[in-house]
Amino acid sequence: MYIETKGLKKSYGEGGSFVQVLKGVDIGIRAGEMCVIQGTSGSGKSTLLNCLGGLDSIDTGSVTVAGTSVEKLKGEKLADYRRKNLGFIFQFYNLVPNLTVRENIQVCEYLSKSPLDMNELLEVLGMSEHADKFPSQLSGGQQQRCAIARALVKNPKVLLCDEPTGALDSKTSRDILMLLEKINAKYDTTMIIVTHNNSIKNMVDHVIYIKDGEVSKDYYNEVKVPACDLEDL
Amino acid sequence: MYGLMLRRACRDIKKNVGRYLALMVLIGFAVYMVLSMMGSAMSIIDQSADYDVILNVEDGQFTVFVPLNATELDKLISSGVSVEEHFSLDYEVLDGSVIRVFKNREDIDLITLHEGRLAETDNEAVLERRYCEEHGIKIGDTFELGGKSFTVTGIGAAPDYNMPVRNLSDTAVDSVAFGLMFITPSAYDSLLSEGNSMKSEDYVYAYRLNGAMSDDDLKAILEENEFDVADIDDPFFQEYWEEMVGRKDDLLEGIDDLNEGAQELRDGVNDLDSGVDELVDGVGEMQDAMPDLQSGANSLYSGASDLSSGIGSYTSGVSAATAGANELNDGIGQLSSGCSDLAAGSDQYMAGLCELNDTAYALSLSEDPFTAQIAGSFYQATSGLVAGYSGIDQGIDSVAQGTAAASSGASELAGGLNTLDSNSAALNSGASSLQNGIGEMRTGINELSDGVDELVDGVDELDSGVDELVDGMNEYADGVDEFTSEANDLIDEVFDIDTSNLVVYLPVADNARIDAAPDDVKNNLYSAMFVGVVALILFAYVISVFVVHSVDQESSVIGALYSLGVRRSALAFGYIVVPAIAAFIAGVIGTLVAVYASFGIPSNMQESFDYYSMPDMGPQVQPFLLIYGLVLPAVITILVNVLVIRGRLTRTPLSLLKNEQKAVKARDIKLGKMKFIPLFRIRQLLREMRTGFTVIFGMFLALLIVMLALNTFIYCYRVKELNVANTHYEYMYTYKYPEKEVPEGGYEAVFEETTKEFEGYNFDVALVGLTRNNPFFDMSALGDKDSEVILSASFAYKYHLSVGDEFTLTSKDGDKLYAFKVAGINDYQASMMVFMDIDACRDLFGESNDYFNAVFSDHPLEIESGRLNSTTTKKDIESASGVFVDSMKSLITTLIIAGAVIFVVVMYLMVKMMLDRAAFNISLVKVFGFKNGEVKKMYLDGNMIMIVAGALVCIPLCKAILNYVYPNFLVANVNTGLSQAFPLYIYGGVFAAILFLYFLISQVLFISIKRTTPALVLKNRE
Ligand SMILES: Nc1ncnc2c1ncn2[C@@H]1O[C@H](COP(=O)(O)OP(=O)(O)OP(=O)(O)O)[C@@H](O)[C@H]1O
Ligand SMILES: [Mg+2]
Repeated sequence: MYIETKGLKKSYGEGGSFVQVLKGVDIGIRAGEMCVIQGTSGSGKSTLLNCLGGLDSIDTGSVTVAGTSVEKLKGEKLADYRRKNLGFIFQFYNLVPNLTVRENIQVCEYLSKSPLDMNELLEVLGMSEHADKFPSQLSGGQQQRCAIARALVKNPKVLLCDEPTGALDSKTSRDILMLLEKINAKYDTTMIIVTHNNSIKNMVDHVIYIKDGEVSKDYYNEVKVPACDLEDL
Repeated sequence: MYGLMLRRACRDIKKNVGRYLALMVLIGFAVYMVLSMMGSAMSIIDQSADYDVILNVEDGQFTVFVPLNATELDKLISSGVSVEEHFSLDYEVLDGSVIRVFKNREDIDLITLHEGRLAETDNEAVLERRYCEEHGIKIGDTFELGGKSFTVTGIGAAPDYNMPVRNLSDTAVDSVAFGLMFITPSAYDSLLSEGNSMKSEDYVYAYRLNGAMSDDDLKAILEENEFDVADIDDPFFQEYWEEMVGRKDDLLEGIDDLNEGAQELRDGVNDLDSGVDELVDGVGEMQDAMPDLQSGANSLYSGASDLSSGIGSYTSGVSAATAGANELNDGIGQLSSGCSDLAAGSDQYMAGLCELNDTAYALSLSEDPFTAQIAGSFYQATSGLVAGYSGIDQGIDSVAQGTAAASSGASELAGGLNTLDSNSAALNSGASSLQNGIGEMRTGINELSDGVDELVDGVDELDSGVDELVDGMNEYADGVDEFTSEANDLIDEVFDIDTSNLVVYLPVADNARIDAAPDDVKNNLYSAMFVGVVALILFAYVISVFVVHSVDQESSVIGALYSLGVRRSALAFGYIVVPAIAAFIAGVIGTLVAVYASFGIPSNMQESFDYYSMPDMGPQVQPFLLIYGLVLPAVITILVNVLVIRGRLTRTPLSLLKNEQKAVKARDIKLGKMKFIPLFRIRQLLREMRTGFTVIFGMFLALLIVMLALNTFIYCYRVKELNVANTHYEYMYTYKYPEKEVPEGGYEAVFEETTKEFEGYNFDVALVGLTRNNPFFDMSALGDKDSEVILSASFAYKYHLSVGDEFTLTSKDGDKLYAFKVAGINDYQASMMVFMDIDACRDLFGESNDYFNAVFSDHPLEIESGRLNSTTTKKDIESASGVFVDSMKSLITTLIIAGAVIFVVVMYLMVKMMLDRAAFNISLVKVFGFKNGEVKKMYLDGNMIMIVAGALVCIPLCKAILNYVYPNFLVANVNTGLSQAFPLYIYGGVFAAILFLYFLISQVLFISIKRTTPALVLKNRE
C-alpha cells in the first residue's frame, strides 16, 4: 500500500476531558487513487487526516506514507517529509493576506526542486487573470483555487484535502472537484478528501467510512461518476 | 522565499506607518541621546589619555616644608625620577577672586594653550581658560595682581588643574572665584619678593617615576629627607618650631625630673630605713628609762604636798595685815578731810582780812584828815595782821597736803594687801592642783611605761615594713630608669616624624584635580550605555507586541504554510525583518544626528568644557560607538522579537491552524458574580497581559529616567540650599603655623586631615576637634567617651552611617587608622567633617592642652596671612554651591522630556494596539447596541487600574533603584553626601503627571473607538 495505517490510536486530554478519538484505524490507500473519508461530525476524520499528514502525533500504531514511517519523524525531518510529499487544502483557505495570488503560490514553489509550471497551473485553475490580486479581492471559490494551486505547485505526491468545498456553494464546489479530478488524472496525485458531503464519494475510487473513531466501511467504487455529473453538492 | 517574506512585510508597513514611525522616532531619539553622551564621554576619555602622554602629566606630586636641597634633588634625578618645581603663590585680585600663580612649566604637566602663547617677558601671563571665560578676559587684556600688571598673552589649561578647585576638598569647581596664572620664573620671583600673597608659598613638586621606582619607594626616600630648621626664613615657622622643640624639651625635662625624683625617693627610703633603725634603738632606751621616771614622779608628788601646807600659813598672815591696813586707811582719810576743811576756812578768813586792809587803805587816803589819820593807823594794824595770817594760812595748806598724801598712801597699802589676800585663795588651789596634777602624772607615767612597751613592738614591725619598702623602692627606681630610656627613644621618634620635610604625598590616582573630566564622563558613558540598552529592549519589546499581534492574527495561515513545509526561520524572518530594518534605519539616523549635529556629541562635550579646565578636543567617533548606534538597535530588536515569537512559532502546525490560544491560567480565574462591566474589564486586562506588561515596562523605564532627573535636581538643589543654610559660621581659618592665643571672637578647633575610601575614590575628611561651646556646630549629642564623634550630614550620607555605627578614618599618610563611634549627626553639609571633643582630639594627635590649628568665627578675624593655610568663608561656599544646579539644568530638562516622551509613545502604541486587537469585538458589541461611552468603559477605562497599579509599584521601585545606584555609582566621585529622599509632593507630582498623560492619551484613543463601526464585523471575516 502506498499509504497505510495499522492499529492507529489517538486520544486527546486527560482525566475528565479524555477523549479516545481514533480507536485503532487500519486503512490502506494505493498510489494515484482518489479516496474519500466520510463520517459524521466529530467522528475523527480530520484527526485521521492530520495524523497522515504528520500534523498531529499518534498514540500507538503506525502510519506509513510512500515507505516513510511518519510516526517516527520529528521536527525538521517531519517538515522535510511534508515539504517533499504533501499538499494540504483546508476548508478555510489560509492564504497570506498581503501576498498576491501569484506570490502566495510562489511561497510553495520555492519548496520544491521540480515545481510545476506556475503559469500552466494558473491556467488550469482558471486563475490567470486574478494572479496579481490580493486574497481579500477574491471570492471564496477563487481563494480556494488559489489555495489548491499553492498546494499543488510543488507537485506533491499526496494531496490531503479537509472539507475543500465546505465553505462553497454547489456550483463552485463542483468546479473545485472537477479541478481535483483533472489534476489527479494529469499528475497522478494521490488524493485523500475528507468530507461529510454524501455525493462526493461517487466520483472517487476508494471510500472509507469512519464512525466513532473506527473504520466502519471501506470499499472501492465499481463505477465512478465524473464530478460534472454529481448531484446534490 | 525570503524576498517574498520581505515583500509581504513591507506591505505590512503601509498599514502601520504611524506605529513604525513613532517607534523609529523613539529609537532614533534614544540612539541620538545615548550616542551623544557616549560619544562625548569616549572622546573626552580617549583624548584626555592622549593629552596625559603629550603633556607629560605627573605621576604624582608632593609638598614639602622647605624646598629640596641640591643633594636631595640630585639623588632623585640620578635615580631616574623626574621632578619639577610647581611652587605657587595665591593672590586675591580686585573682584575678590583668587589666582594661584605658577612659573611656566618646562617638563611636567605642560600647559595647553587654547589661544595665544606662553608668557615670555616678565609682564606677560597665561591665564586659565575657565577663569577667562567666566570673567570675559581676552588676549591682550591687562590683568592686575600682587601690585603688578600683566598682559594676557595666552589662555590655556594645565592638566594638574583639570578640575580647577582651590582646595582638594572642595566639592565643586567655581571658576568665578578661582583661577590660575602662569608667568616667567623671574616674574614669579619678583612677585615672591614683594610678599603680597595671601598665604605662604606652597612648595609643591610634580614627579614622574619613569619606571625607576614605585610610589612607595619615592615616598620612603622623601620621608627620610629632614630639613634644616635654620633654612626656613618664615618667622611663623620659626615660632612654631620653637614651640615644637620646646615641647620636646619640656617632655624630656619632665622625664628627667621623674627619674631624679625616683632616685631621691630611693635615697629617702633608705634614710627612712636607717631612721627607723635608730627609732628602734631609741624606743628600747626609753623603755629602759621608764622605772627611773616612775620613782622621780613619786618624789615630786611628796614635795608638792609640803608646798601646799606652807602656802596655807602664809595666806592667813596676809589676811590679818589686810584688815589693819584698811582701818588705818579710814582714819587717815578722816584726818585728811578735816585738814582740807581747815584750809578752806583759813582761806576765807585771809580774804576777809585782805578786804579790811584794802578798805583801811582807801579810808587813809580820804580828804578828811581825821578819817585819814585814824584810818591810816588802822591800816598799819591790818597790814601787819594780813602779813602775819598769810604765814598761818600757808602752814594750814601744807598740813592739808600732807594728810592728803598720807591718805592716798594708806589706801594704796590697803589695796595692795587686799589684792594679796584675794590671790591667796588662788595660790592655795594652785598648790593643791599641782599636787593633783603630779599625782595624775604619776599614773600617766605608769601608763606611758605600758605604751612604750607596745611602741617597742610596733617599731619592730615598722622596721620590717620599711625593709620591704626599700626593696619595692629599688624596683621602682629601676622601672623608672627603663621608662626613661624608652620614653627618650619614643620622644625622639615622635619628634623625628615632624622633622621630615615631606608634608603631603599625593600620587595621581588620589588627586581629584587630575583627569577629573574623563573620570566624571565615565559615569555618563556607563549609564548612557546601560539606559540605552534598556530603552532599546523596551522598544524592541513594544515592537514584539505588534509582531505577536500579527502572528496571532495570521496563526492559521502560518499553520497552513507550515503544513506545506515552509520553514519556521523563513516565517520568523518575515515577521522580524521589517522591525529590524526600521530599528536599523532609526539607529542610523540617531547615529548621524549624534555624530554630525551640533546638538549631538559636540554640545555634550561642551558641558564638560563649561565646567572643567580642559585642553581643546574635538568629537571623535570610535568603532564601538558605530557598532552601538548602527548595529545594536537592530540586533536587540531581532533578539527580543525572536525570543518572544519563538514560542508561538514553535507551536505545532495543527495548533496554529486551529488558532488555539495558549491556556493562560489567569484567564481561568473564577470571577464570581461581578457586575458585567468590571468583570469585562478584568477579562480584557487579563487577555491583554502582555500589552499591559509592556506599558508598565515602558512606564518603568520612563520613570527611571524621570526619577534620575528628579534625583539629580534634588541633589543639586540640596547642595545649593543646604550647603549655605546649614553653614552657621562665616569664616573658617586653618593655620599652617598655629598661634598660641585664640583670636578675639574666634572659636578654636583642632583640624586634622584624614581620608576615607568610597567606591575606589579617596575623599578628604576633616577630623575636627571642637570646644563644647562652639555655636556653629551642634555638638549636643556628644557624650563623654573619647571615641564618640558627631558627623556632618554630608559625611553621614556619603558613607551611609547612622547613630551607633562604628567606622574608621585613615591618616593622610595612610599609615594609621582611627576608629570612632557615631554619637550624633548634625546638619553641616558644605564639606565632609567628623567632629569630636577638642581635648579628645588633642590627646589623639598628641597635642598640648591648649593646641588649636583652626578657628571658626562669625566675623573676620585679625590673623597674619603668613600663618594661614586656608580661609573659607560662607560666601565661598555659597558661590560654589550654585555651580551644580547651573551645570545640570539642561540634563535635567532633557531627561524629563525623554521620560515623558517614552511613556506617552509606548502607552499610546500599546493601548491603541489593544483597541486594534479588540476592534472586531468592539464592532460586535456595537452591533449589539452598546454606545461609545460604554465601549470606552469596557475597553479603555480598565487600563486606568493597570496604570495606577503600575505607577504605585514603579515609582517606589525606581526610587529604590536610584537610591542605590545614584550615590554609589553616579555621584560616587563627588565629595559630599546628601539625603536622597524626595519630598512627598514630588511623588504626588509624578503620579499626577502619569494620570494626566494617561487621561490625555485615552481621550485621543476614544476617537478611535468612535471610529470603529459595526460594519467592521462583516469586513473582518473572510
Ligand atoms: N485538540 C483536541 N482536544 C480535545 N479533543 C479534540 C481535539 N481535537 C479534536 N478533538 C475531538 O476529537 C473528535 C474528533 O474530531 P475531528 O476534528 O477529527 O472530527 P471530524 O470528524 O473532523 O468532525 P467535523 O466533520 O465536524 O469536522 C471530536 O469529538 C473532537 O471534539
Ligand atoms: Mg473535520
